Amino acid sequence: MVYALLQRLGQMLFVMFGISVLVFLIFFATPGADPAARIAGRNASPEVLEAVRKSFGFDQPFYVQYLTMMKKIFITGDLTSFVNRGWKVVPAVLDTVPVTLSLVIGAAVLWVVFALIIGIVAAATRGSWIDKTLMVLGLIGISMPVYWLGEMLNLITQSRYHDTWMFSWVPPLGYKNFSDDPKGWFLTLVIPWITLSILYIGLYGRVLRAAIVESLQEDYIRTARAKGLSETRILLRHALRTSLVAFVTLFGLDFGALVGGSALLTEVVFGLQGVGKLTYDALLNLDLPIIMTTVLYASFFVVMANAVVDVLYMLIDPRVRTA
Amino acid sequence: MRKWMLAGAAALALAFTAVVPAQAEYQAEHRGGTMRLVARSAAGTLDPQINYTLQYWQIYQSVYSGLTGFKKGAGEEGFEVVPNLAEELPAVTNDGKTYTFKVRKGIKFSDGRDVTIKDVVASFQRIFKVSSPTSGGFYSVIVGADKCIATPATCTLEGGVTGDEAASTVTINLTRADPEFLFKLAVPHASILPADAPATDAGSVPIPGTGPYFFSAYDPNKGLTMSRNPNFKVWSEAAMPDGYPDVVQYDFGLTDEAEVTAVMNGEADWMFDQPPTDRLSEIGTKFKDQVYINTLTAWWYAPMNTRLAPFDNLKARQAVNFAIDRKALVNLFGGPVLAAPVCQVLPPGFPAHAPYCPYTKDPGEKWSAPDIERAKQLVEESGTKGQKVTVIVEDTAVSKSIGVYLQSVLKEIGYDAELKPISPNIQFTYIQNTNNKVQISVSQWYQDYPAASNFLNVLFGCSSFTEGSDSSINIAGFCDEKVEAKMKEAFTLAATDQAAANKIWTEVDKMVTDAAPAAPLFTPKHIDFVSKRLGNFQFNAQFYWMVTQSWVQ
Amino acid sequence: MSVISDTLDVTPKSRGPWATALRRLLRDQAAVAALVVFIVIVVFCLLAPAYAYWAGTDPFKSTLDAVIKLNGQDVPVMEQSTEGLGLGYTPIGPTWQLGNYFLGADNQGRDVMARLLYGGLNSLFIAGMATVVTLFFATLIGLAAGFFGGIIDTLLSRFLDILWAFPVYLLAISLSIVLIAQGLNLGIITIESGSLWLPIFIIGVVYVPYVARPVRGQVLALRESEFVLAAIGLGVPSHRILLRDILPNVSTTLIVFVPIMMALNMITESALSFLSIGVQPPDASWGTIIQDGQTLLYTRPMVALAPGIAIVITVLALNVLGDGLRDALDPRSKIRIGRS
Repeated sequence: MVYALLQRLGQMLFVMFGISVLVFLIFFATPGADPAARIAGRNASPEVLEAVRKSFGFDQPFYVQYLTMMKKIFITGDLTSFVNRGWKVVPAVLDTVPVTLSLVIGAAVLWVVFALIIGIVAAATRGSWIDKTLMVLGLIGISMPVYWLGEMLNLITQSRYHDTWMFSWVPPLGYKNFSDDPKGWFLTLVIPWITLSILYIGLYGRVLRAAIVESLQEDYIRTARAKGLSETRILLRHALRTSLVAFVTLFGLDFGALVGGSALLTEVVFGLQGVGKLTYDALLNLDLPIIMTTVLYASFFVVMANAVVDVLYMLIDPRVRTA
Repeated sequence: MRKWMLAGAAALALAFTAVVPAQAEYQAEHRGGTMRLVARSAAGTLDPQINYTLQYWQIYQSVYSGLTGFKKGAGEEGFEVVPNLAEELPAVTNDGKTYTFKVRKGIKFSDGRDVTIKDVVASFQRIFKVSSPTSGGFYSVIVGADKCIATPATCTLEGGVTGDEAASTVTINLTRADPEFLFKLAVPHASILPADAPATDAGSVPIPGTGPYFFSAYDPNKGLTMSRNPNFKVWSEAAMPDGYPDVVQYDFGLTDEAEVTAVMNGEADWMFDQPPTDRLSEIGTKFKDQVYINTLTAWWYAPMNTRLAPFDNLKARQAVNFAIDRKALVNLFGGPVLAAPVCQVLPPGFPAHAPYCPYTKDPGEKWSAPDIERAKQLVEESGTKGQKVTVIVEDTAVSKSIGVYLQSVLKEIGYDAELKPISPNIQFTYIQNTNNKVQISVSQWYQDYPAASNFLNVLFGCSSFTEGSDSSINIAGFCDEKVEAKMKEAFTLAATDQAAANKIWTEVDKMVTDAAPAAPLFTPKHIDFVSKRLGNFQFNAQFYWMVTQSWVQ
Repeated sequence: MSVISDTLDVTPKSRGPWATALRRLLRDQAAVAALVVFIVIVVFCLLAPAYAYWAGTDPFKSTLDAVIKLNGQDVPVMEQSTEGLGLGYTPIGPTWQLGNYFLGADNQGRDVMARLLYGGLNSLFIAGMATVVTLFFATLIGLAAGFFGGIIDTLLSRFLDILWAFPVYLLAISLSIVLIAQGLNLGIITIESGSLWLPIFIIGVVYVPYVARPVRGQVLALRESEFVLAAIGLGVPSHRILLRDILPNVSTTLIVFVPIMMALNMITESALSFLSIGVQPPDASWGTIIQDGQTLLYTRPMVALAPGIAIVITVLALNVLGDGLRDALDPRSKIRIGRS
């Protein structure tokens, strides 16, 4: 068990190393991304440019630059942005985490609750029109591009129907700190929560329904039925439990990816300064230190989530443990 | 400078006028409150000697002071140079090469320390130590500057800037007479900072200043906070008046659509970015009392690379100039209320500007309509028909729509045109670097201070062109001996007779316009959209809206 | 005697697996409906040039001063605001007249309906080609890794791990930002920066791990199956085994992936184009039109609404088709739609 864990750890580190190299390589060769001129300011004379280049070490070979950056991120922690000079990157990224967490956790609560409801109801009434409708709704949820949905909701709540009783409570876009203004924090996040969760409600609702239906055909369910247990009891206590395995593993992967910044589009559309938006802005600015840090952070979460899910799977499913 | 660079505005303001009309009275009943400003993003370093963006120069005016300053008055009063930390404008001796300033006593920095002569001298040295972007362009005229540019770390400016503690004076010696020098001392790059300010870019750590406000918090991702400077006392109403709000909170991160909504709902008092065109009619009708439109001296233009096919051919460049429908571009920008077509380099209302428009259906003084037939003919004659052309623009709504239009026009006159929008953060340096082989792009230029040289020499002079550098502001690569000679003539004449010099600049304007290294597009007006509660909006031609001179209660 | 043998002789003709699958698919009403919808959409988009010709508009040319006839009156396509301060220019809204700016104009004065059809062409083309790219590389990698095992498997799997841990959208955005500016130059292949092949290549590459892993898993399992072991024991060359025995068994998985990947790719392409790093102007795709519509959202929402609805319908049809295909070919498959 310990050996397996260590192996996992080694794999994780290797993957993160690979990603950091990949990011560095991708951005190294972009034209117009020479940070020296941008740092030196407009119309800077060539001597000024040289001075800036030297002080940042841009004239060193790539691997030296890469190692310097890695050292600054992990060891000394004083990596600074290329665009906003003097701005420490690591604390900046950590600062944006609460925003992303607020968005993702809220959406996760929403989608888990609704997916459970939809999945169970659909499975319970399988074959009926309720089941079919729910599944179609779920499909529609999956088929909508999340940024488009966000824009449409914005249109409705911010502009068209803003003055009606239904949406007058919707505040202007942007994030409010929970510590400063809890009510404002909640209100600004409601529409983004809905937007982000619709895709996942559809997805997880369908997955759960399929898993429940499948497990309802297992032998042990037949035994339970033969024993005289009610359908509801069978559904909720037996079939659901086994289907939750698939649900939980998928959830772990998706949640990990979202915390890592995959909610980028939602954050951009709603003006929430989370990790995703920070990454996106940094990508547009070609601000390499921030990009490296956020991508490493994002992939750390994905890899972590993968590992946690694998371990959980090992723990939950006894069949896998002995394999 | 460009949009995020300080905007200067036109009107000739001779540096030496010392007339100070009556300042508006400070109305104490409006003092207080928190003003909230919003912008899409931060604008780089907070260091006043390095930052070269309009966004921050607009707020530096109430935080930092130089020896001289631009007057804080409405409109073109903003072009007047007035004494700031200096007691009065100096007498210039030694054929215009020596300036002696008497520095005021009793002024404190926001951290409580007194401003001393040592601080003044150290600040000038710091300009070179931190490699300020204008250390070469503006301040190389100071004696000893050449050594400082070569080895910035050990800059002493010996013989250039010397201080006399006892007499409380600072003497600056120049290598040649420079009639623009007092302007150069008034811009934030020449702010007086404490002598122990870091000798490198301070980045996001604020440096204490002498103004009525100081930066109490700064997070480039979230926002900036300006609070009252407890150690400030008014020493010159003209240069540094007191401000009204207690706190100015400047938040970053919203999209321009969201910013408009915020101002409309009263959640924000002002937005930095231009309102998106689809909200303009709403703003112009329902909220017209909260809108202020002011003239600028600036232009949007399309530099064409004169060293690369097809625009190394004069006829091709002229064809582009004839084909562009400047009225359509004005519409894309927001309509005739917000912009006006131009066909020459110097913008209207600018010193040395004389209306001249050769690139229209009936050439004369004003632009009327494009001449597509003539354009097509010129393209044929030039022999460049059918060549591939790529237009590079910034990836913002307005720039992109202009780019899409330009591509369409280029196709119409016979080129195989493509469009490439690039992130606004790198587009400007990208189009300057000759390694990127940019043929035509769209850019803007706003003036640093009111002088014709700022447009003609900086944008089209040979010394502004450097091969393979991200910093070669002469994007068109235009270098003509005759034009250079004329510009030199104007420079030398300006030391003695500014008016005569301006006449020569007018000629230079004509020469450059005829050579068509760029296609002038339009001159924009500036639109400020403010909240209902904001009062006393004043637009200053040099700094734009004077932030702290308005009140919120 | 003869009676018994007659009845015994009759063996029901067994249909091949493909025919069975096809029958199952055709019995699935939803899947058939989805297929029909998808084909209709494709046909409409193919008719884009015809529509533009008939409407007399050039959807790629900026026509800011165009004037159309509406109800007998001359109406400019871009109207200047005359009230208040007279700020801003607004394009006309939907006229609901086919062939006459049916859905209105965008901010360059172009016909939105014509652009919608051309955009659909591009979106479908990119999604389709990207699917081909993904399936091609994923099959190669999956086959090699699963069949040869050993160091090849380790290398390829680690490579897939790295690619997969890089969040899909971040990877796509990073590659796009870099490549859109300068094009791709791999020595033998050069893709210019305005070409549609760039987003095709990027989207195709980014999803390779998504398909390669299941393929690899299947190949691994197949490799231990009796007939493959027998073939190896008989000394059949590897490439023969791969082509004759393994690939056909993997093909059902691949076929199920086709509509699923197309749906995913359509959404990814529209997201990239929305962020301005997918299809470049003046080419249109449904994502770029949504982006155009962003600046007109509050005044002319149809510009953003129409392409969004088009995407939803197409992706929905593809998803339903994918579901149906999976049920018909491989009901026990664990492949789920919509995961990214």
